[in-house]
Amino acid sequence: MALAQVPEPTTETPPPARKGITRRQALAAAVATGVGVGAVRLLGGTIQNIKRSSAATGTDWVSPLGRESAQVMQLLRRTTLGYTAAQLDVALADGYSKTVDRLLETPPQEPPALAASSTPGGRFAVPQLQQWWVDHMLTTSTPFAERMTLFWHGHFTSDYRKTGDNTFMYWQNLTWRRMALTNLRPMLMQVTTDPAMLRYLDLATSTGQNPNENYSRELMELFTMGAGNYSEQDVRESAKALAGWQQPPPDSIATVTVDKVKMVTQKLPVFTNQRPGVFNQRRAYKGSVTFLGQTGPLDTQGVIDRILAQPATATFIASKVAEHFVTYQPSASYVARLADSFRRSKYDVKTLMRAVFTSPEFAAGSSYRTLLKSPTEFMVHGARALGATSAGAGKLIAAAGSGMGQSLFDPPDVSGWPNNAAWISSNTVVERVNFATLALAQVKGSVPSATDVARTHLDGVLSPQTTNLLNQAPDDRTRWFITLASPEFQLK
Amino acid sequence: MTKEIGINQLKRRDFLKAGLVFGAGAAGLAAGYAAVPDAFARAVYAAKQNGMANDNVLVMIQLAGGNDGLRTLVPLTDPTLHDLRPKLAGPMVSQALPLTTDFGLNHNLGGIKGLWDKGKVAIVQGVGYPNPTFSHFESIRIWETGDPSRRQVDGWLGRTLAKAYDSNGHPLSGCACGTTDVPGALRDLQATMTVIQNQKTFGFTGGSEVEAAVGALYKGTPGIYGALFDTAIATANDTIATLRTSTASYQPMADYTDKVKLVYSSKNQLAAALQLAAELIVTGTGVKLLHVTLGGFDTHYTELNRHDDLMGYLDSAVSAFYQDLSAHGMADKVLIATWSEFGRRPKENASGGTDHGAAAPLLLIGDPVKSGLYGAEPSLTTLDATGNLKFAVDFRSVYQEILGGHLGADSNEILGGTFDRVPFLKAPVAAL
Repeated sequence: MALAQVPEPTTETPPPARKGITRRQALAAAVATGVGVGAVRLLGGTIQNIKRSSAATGTDWVSPLGRESAQVMQLLRRTTLGYTAAQLDVALADGYSKTVDRLLETPPQEPPALAASSTPGGRFAVPQLQQWWVDHMLTTSTPFAERMTLFWHGHFTSDYRKTGDNTFMYWQNLTWRRMALTNLRPMLMQVTTDPAMLRYLDLATSTGQNPNENYSRELMELFTMGAGNYSEQDVRESAKALAGWQQPPPDSIATVTVDKVKMVTQKLPVFTNQRPGVFNQRRAYKGSVTFLGQTGPLDTQGVIDRILAQPATATFIASKVAEHFVTYQPSASYVARLADSFRRSKYDVKTLMRAVFTSPEFAAGSSYRTLLKSPTEFMVHGARALGATSAGAGKLIAAAGSGMGQSLFDPPDVSGWPNNAAWISSNTVVERVNFATLALAQVKGSVPSATDVARTHLDGVLSPQTTNLLNQAPDDRTRWFITLASPEFQLK
Repeated sequence: MTKEIGINQLKRRDFLKAGLVFGAGAAGLAAGYAAVPDAFARAVYAAKQNGMANDNVLVMIQLAGGNDGLRTLVPLTDPTLHDLRPKLAGPMVSQALPLTTDFGLNHNLGGIKGLWDKGKVAIVQGVGYPNPTFSHFESIRIWETGDPSRRQVDGWLGRTLAKAYDSNGHPLSGCACGTTDVPGALRDLQATMTVIQNQKTFGFTGGSEVEAAVGALYKGTPGIYGALFDTAIATANDTIATLRTSTASYQPMADYTDKVKLVYSSKNQLAAALQLAAELIVTGTGVKLLHVTLGGFDTHYTELNRHDDLMGYLDSAVSAFYQDLSAHGMADKVLIATWSEFGRRPKENASGGTDHGAAAPLLLIGDPVKSGLYGAEPSLTTLDATGNLKFAVDFRSVYQEILGGHLGADSNEILGGTFDRVPFLKAPVAAL
């Protein structure tokens, strides 16, 4: 790849930072005085040379969201894992409203079955599992289902290390895809009895007599209500009420040679049919508990229903959805409105997502480019745009996420992945740029035309630097590199 | 190569005044932690051009998940331990490496025991804070910010850098090794800290051509993340340039290979991260505050093997690190300190593990320490209302000693108050 010669920087040193005024005031002042802004809206998809800004820092992107086409592109960026030029054309022809309907109403395409999942003890390599999912992300006809699966994977999260059985991790992935747009009530029952979760947060080894608090606490703190909305006593009491679940019994037992030299064999469970954990009454708590203000006998469904009766639950979920899909810092009133609609629908996730996509906040100029693509979104977007959907690309993506802070099936901790600004560090930006280089290397022969890339992938809203480098790029490969490595492409 | 003029020479902090956002996440919002200060409204960063009081270095090792203090520094003579932990207590007491009549180190901390014998280890017992939270994430934030009232959003080490050091042109003043994101302790909303996951792969594929193109691309980037992007790239470029020199002149003088296989494989390669820390220290990159993390301490389940292995893993990495520093003649400059969000419940659960607890001991290792046990042994018989150990030493007392005594920083300004002293340093550099 030939990179254009980098021009001598002509940007002047920014003036001393203004104190006591807000960034947006500074921007408004800059515009009013004709100083110029650091982002331009390019019409008609042509890249023009523009006058360099003398005060780029502190300026904001100029939102194009007044145009429906820009709204459609933003919707695709935030809800799918990228698109080809042809897929974009379909959505633009359909328009915003019809595209929302299609996203919400098309049943998820199931990924191909992973043959390795019946490996005794779930002992197949985790990169195999990661690549199986990434390959599906790259080729699926329903990428919104994958985006939602990724969201729930980060919410009701488990990691392969502690779960120690990749078949269970595989099942959990299938579960969140199938349930992604269903209802929080059955989802909470499902996550409680999910075999990977039973191991990850230890419910499978808890007993009513001597409960393990791990799942009980995170069910309330991270999955439903958020810290501060329950007491330590509630953690202890629901730990009693939830105890009794165990892993499902295997379909068969296989004798596996684990050490060929010493001829050591081991009996390992084989699972061929997905199913939840089983309840063992003998391990359950016998007696009444006092949980979230009420006393009496309580089973797992009772715990979940009492959690769903707390106003904090809808607020917590709505707030997280808004941060992931709308803006980095949603207002309390917006979250309250979404939560209200979620609660009134009796926790129907599709209703919540429709409320999000049709809210004025979603298309508001103030939310434009306020979200950062997660590493997985960034990479899959890039690969889909390039048409790099081969096994080589899947393998690259499955491996490259860890340097950017996101390794699938391996979240940093039980709170899943952080979002937005937390994705940027001196390590992760380098890795993102490196991915652009490596993804391009996956495309043998000619790359798709990049003539229109500033419009189709960057909304035509570019910084002067990106504009310049694209203008000077000698070929399409270089234009794609600049595009994928640009700050604009990291945003959604 | 020609150094890019422009952003590399601008103060990173100036850029960040333009508006850096930190997403606290839904959990943070619920915890009332989400305050994102208007960068403009904040007091201007007071750079102290020659603020480095000395060339001492601090290395914080986070034991993430809540390290079991009772299995780290084991009470040897308290019979209550066996009542509380019928499955876990036996071997941990019989195998412990005695330091005094009443306390011994976990049997897998043999290397650290060797350092204790040479007078290089101080242990502060019963460290915690009032009204402890049992949430990992809330307690981590409290330790990271040094603020149990949860108002502060910058990390205590981030504030130290902001107040005491001029990090402009010194990208490695504060550095997280072996991870991909900025640990909360180093967070400074107006600065970009250096993060290096692996020095072998840190750099741009395609070399200086790509480096220059990216430097040109990320300049004056608009939007709320603009300053963060630009400074991250500038910091990366500065760091790459610094590492290019340092890698050439560093030869490890210790064996950093992992000698322990953990029950659950580690996300963080602690020994490799400490080797990178050693490289940054011995090659004179100007590094002051380093942070590394080892996860896996949330031992609700089958704690016996898991915790012992984690102790062994920690011990081998720290031992190699100390040996390396010592061989390079740098051991007298470096203080190593462990921290963890909480200890664990004295009473074990049905899973052969322990739930979230409160007070626990901290280890301070290195030539600067005055060896011994500090603080107060927490009682196993008078537990608090949640069945947890009562704290005796506020964790900020330990921070205060590190800041003032080792780094020569103004701990009162950084911590917003003064705390009881824990005199675990041989020769504190500033009067405390």
